[in-house]
Amino acid sequence: MPDKTITYEGLTPGYKFPPAAYELSASFVSKYLKAVDSAGVGFVPPLAITACAIAAMTKSVPLPPGTIAIHASQELEFFKLVPIGATIECHIGVAQKIARGKMSMLILEIEVFDKDKEKVQSGRATIALPA
Amino acid sequence: MLTEIQEGKALNPVVKHITQEKINLYAEASGDFNPIHVDESFAAKTPLGGTIAHGMLSLAYVSEMMASAFGQSWLSGGKLRAKFKEPARPGDTLTINGKVDCIERKDDVSYANCNFECRNQKGEMIVVGEAIVKVSSDKK
Repeated sequence: MPDKTITYEGLTPGYKFPPAAYELSASFVSKYLKAVDSAGVGFVPPLAITACAIAAMTKSVPLPPGTIAIHASQELEFFKLVPIGATIECHIGVAQKIARGKMSMLILEIEVFDKDKEKVQSGRATIALPA
Repeated sequence: MLTEIQEGKALNPVVKHITQEKINLYAEASGDFNPIHVDESFAAKTPLGGTIAHGMLSLAYVSEMMASAFGQSWLSGGKLRAKFKEPARPGDTLTINGKVDCIERKDDVSYANCNFECRNQKGEMIVVGEAIVKVSSDKK
């Protein structure tokens, strides 16, 4: 898990969050499958991996109390199957920060690697926040 | 899985009922405890008027539909682009529909370009987007 936090104001294009490693244990996958009400397919669901990456980011940014962050859009690409029990490393960076009236759009780039440093997933998330 | 992949072919829909319990379970699994998802008294005082499901929960249902149609091709080579249009709320029943828009060939590989949408029981659009998945390859 990242051990550093950053203020929202400090999130500028080019900023990289500290990489976060996760073990995708059988108990984690089981909990995730129960939450999404799905039977599973014998591998880690790709969106469970994305959920870990997004959690790593949200834990690094302490938003002011009462702030509502809205997930506006998501792009994802999956590159390989991830076995249950694997460890992944999530890398997230700020691609853009756009002010739109009273809102601010934070565009984040996500890359996830396995223990062999092979890319398993990449994506782009747009988060809307009060400016 | 789809036995025949043709342009215009509808994917098997996925129907899910959202409850606060499921949202709480998702928060626990994902580690995303944003109060707009899990704190009913906080959420009631916001412009949203109550808790909402995580966008990634609705997107997980889209991925379930794609995995059911395309199996491992989706899990190891799928690509999607989604917009979250409206929040899903406890009590909503979400229906996820998808269709193969067209099949494209690039470098001896065929890809199914699909569109998908997730609507609630009132017909409101919750998530909309496109997905691409490799369906066959002539490469040796």
